[in-house]
Amino acid sequence: MYKRRMVVFNILRGLAAIILALAVAAIFIFLASDEPFEALKQLLIAPLVNFRGESAAFNVQSLYQILALMIPTMFTGLGVCVMFSADMFNLGGEGAVMAGGFVASLIAIYVPMPAGVHPVVAVLVGTLVGGLVTLIPALLRVKVGASEMVSSLMFNYVVMYIIMHYLNNVFADRSKGSTQSFPFIETAKIPQLVTGGSRLTYGFLIALVFVVITAIFMYRTRWGYQVRMIGVNPNFAKYSGMNVASTLILAQFIGGLLSGMGGAIEVLGRYNTFLWKELPGYGWTGITIAILARNNPAFVPFAAFFLAYLDRGCQLMSTHSDVPSEMIAIIQAAIFLFFAAEQFLSGARQKLVVKNAQDELAAMEAKTVQEGK
Amino acid sequence: MGAANDTAQNIELAVDMRNISKVYPNGIAANQNVNFSVRKGEIHALIGENGAGKSTLVKMLFGMEQPTAGEILLNGKEVQLASPAQAIEHGIGMVHQHLMLVPSLTVAENMVLGMPPKKGIAIDYQAAVRMTTEIAERYNFKIDAEKRVMDIPVGMKQKIEILKALLRGAEILILDEPTAVLTSNETVELFQQLRNLRDDGFTIIFISHRLNEIKELTDRMTIMRGGRFMGVHNTAAITEQEISRLMVGRDVLLELEKDEADPREVVLSVENVSYTNEWNKLMLDNVSFDVRAGEIVGIAGVEGNGQKELVDILFGLRNAHTGEVKVNNASILGKSQRVIREMGVSLIPEDRMLYGIAASGSITDNILADRYANKEYNVGPFFRAKKIQKDTEQLIKEYRIVAKNQSQQVDMLSGGNIQKVVVAREFSSRPHLIIADQPTRGIDVGATEFIRKRLLDLSREGAAVLLVSADLSEVMEMSDRLLIFYGGEIVASFDDTSTLTDEVMGEYMLGLRRQEKKELEELAYV
Repeated sequence: MYKRRMVVFNILRGLAAIILALAVAAIFIFLASDEPFEALKQLLIAPLVNFRGESAAFNVQSLYQILALMIPTMFTGLGVCVMFSADMFNLGGEGAVMAGGFVASLIAIYVPMPAGVHPVVAVLVGTLVGGLVTLIPALLRVKVGASEMVSSLMFNYVVMYIIMHYLNNVFADRSKGSTQSFPFIETAKIPQLVTGGSRLTYGFLIALVFVVITAIFMYRTRWGYQVRMIGVNPNFAKYSGMNVASTLILAQFIGGLLSGMGGAIEVLGRYNTFLWKELPGYGWTGITIAILARNNPAFVPFAAFFLAYLDRGCQLMSTHSDVPSEMIAIIQAAIFLFFAAEQFLSGARQKLVVKNAQDELAAMEAKTVQEGK
Repeated sequence: MGAANDTAQNIELAVDMRNISKVYPNGIAANQNVNFSVRKGEIHALIGENGAGKSTLVKMLFGMEQPTAGEILLNGKEVQLASPAQAIEHGIGMVHQHLMLVPSLTVAENMVLGMPPKKGIAIDYQAAVRMTTEIAERYNFKIDAEKRVMDIPVGMKQKIEILKALLRGAEILILDEPTAVLTSNETVELFQQLRNLRDDGFTIIFISHRLNEIKELTDRMTIMRGGRFMGVHNTAAITEQEISRLMVGRDVLLELEKDEADPREVVLSVENVSYTNEWNKLMLDNVSFDVRAGEIVGIAGVEGNGQKELVDILFGLRNAHTGEVKVNNASILGKSQRVIREMGVSLIPEDRMLYGIAASGSITDNILADRYANKEYNVGPFFRAKKIQKDTEQLIKEYRIVAKNQSQQVDMLSGGNIQKVVVAREFSSRPHLIIADQPTRGIDVGATEFIRKRLLDLSREGAAVLLVSADLSEVMEMSDRLLIFYGGEIVASFDDTSTLTDEVMGEYMLGLRRQEKKELEELAYV
């Protein structure tokens, strides 16, 4: 009963934060636009509703596009949840996405395989490579004490430039105007889930399956328990007999595996050839998602949906209204800032809750003592 | 008795703290109606055991804590000290026990930290060096202003801390256990400099629990025990025995019914263990003793005499430099905590918030910490959630932990209940050896009684118990045998605690007496 009330309260509070954030965004839009209502409509409603003259209809293709946007970010969000739960600020998800996508592409291009097997093998190899990308900063942290945040951040660029080097000099399709690889073999592509051009693939279902798997891992297995306890208090974990170093490595390896898988599935589902020429940004979005989801895998799909919806709305606003694209970035930042601020404020609220609970328990204790007498 | 109250108002007081009480938010009353007055130009000792409330009292004088009741007068005027900055403004300087210098900066840079001399917008480094050298020469301190702090010895660092306070205009200097990290030569030098400062008119408050140092250095002393004021005395007029009696003493005893111990095989054997800390100080000096199944061996001593290091070594959290530690005849040195636990060792850690619990975890999370990998709680890769829940509920009931349910966050519980969570975990793993380090520190009477009773029951059921405690009544009541630590050595061993008096205990604990080698050897291995 008490728990359910808290859940409802939290959801309401989240909604209130979103509404406030949008109100701030609206102020910016009114400042920047001559047709603010049109712009707001594009931002808020157009992602799901199609306007044709006076009539409006539910836009299912646009919904598919939003869901498709969530595929890589759900994976990176899950990966960051696991790493942050261990209190490891490994930012290597970004590099892991790119490396996973690149290696999966190579298998999709150069290693012919039967239809059912090809994408599975390509994705699994991409996953493994993603894991290696976050593993290196993890090992540096545990073995020599280097900050995983700094080394993973820099390592992203190392990964990117290695990939760019091989793409430019070894794997580039010279018949094309821009730098890209040769096309994937048809058998390697991840099939579409729905008709139309939304690029919503079976990858979405796989992502949802991994939400469940990651949640079970974190809350229902001994390894997830170790990760969480080390994140809360590493001294306690060591004293209790946990192997802190290997768990820190495991958590970061898993984070990279998930990100690598996201990159591989994204590339094989959305494109026909590998054409990323810079870090794709899904790793950063994953960090945002993990913060919004409070490192709880179960909340990742909701956070990913929120960000994807916002992304789509901003896209539409910039094409269909006069709000300049720089303003779009500001609005997006304002919305995120508000939502994130709510999350950080919840720390202060937590203190209040703790205090209330302590008072309540003190009363309980006094009662027990009296009854005992 | 050398009572030296300042009833006559013609003596000029630098510090006058009247009827000070301090209750912390967690309910611990650290100071109760304490009076503390220091004359201008004297070296005044503040003396008492750990937990006597000395630190709390000076923290209030330095503006780090605010008193719950009482008033503070400086040079006869009442003041409110809301922050250390205000205390510094009033001419108070504090040298902390843990030196607060930036190791990678030079001495001069540390000296002017927070108040750098400026040349335009840049820091005038040469001026900082000049200021440092000047003030060092004025007070006859020998320091090298341009060396990095990480490259200089501890004694020098302490001088810099003192000079830092002087540079900020301090007239009243508080030194919190300044000799704890010093070698004896450095101590001699420090004392000379403190005397010089006194002769220059500075007022010095010297916190310590080392009787010989206090006798040697100070003019007067204020004694505290258990958060209470135990009187102020002229140092020359009081004997060490009297100080020890006032300082160490038992509060009201909790009566505990205790059967005769029936010691059986040796479970823990400690042989010739020595340990030198990171400041090259010998913290454990050739310590040897045994603990047998079915008995409680107590370790008493003023904190900082090697007990903490010993416990860390016994649980693999520190490495002994020489010697051997065996549990059931197998060495534990170099083993991980998991292996040590598997050998049947349990530890109630001294610092429960740092080691004992995961504060934001649930009670279940905290109970599970040493057993989450056990077969009974796992099926394949998954936890057996129902079994875990059932067993946790059982322990909550058994250990009378007051909580709403097992998923309650541990840091919401009261101190006593947090400790019961730790104890429930450590006692329920069927240990052969229980190391209980300050098991009842800072918790309420009910929980204290409960934990002591449990510990006693376990020992009578056949566990070996090593009890380390600064609480005299606890070690004396509980122990079947008692060892006293002083300066990293066992200076006394008793196999009957019932005839021991507080006075005798105090004299051993403060290093005024020690048993002969031979007598000790016989008793350490009964």
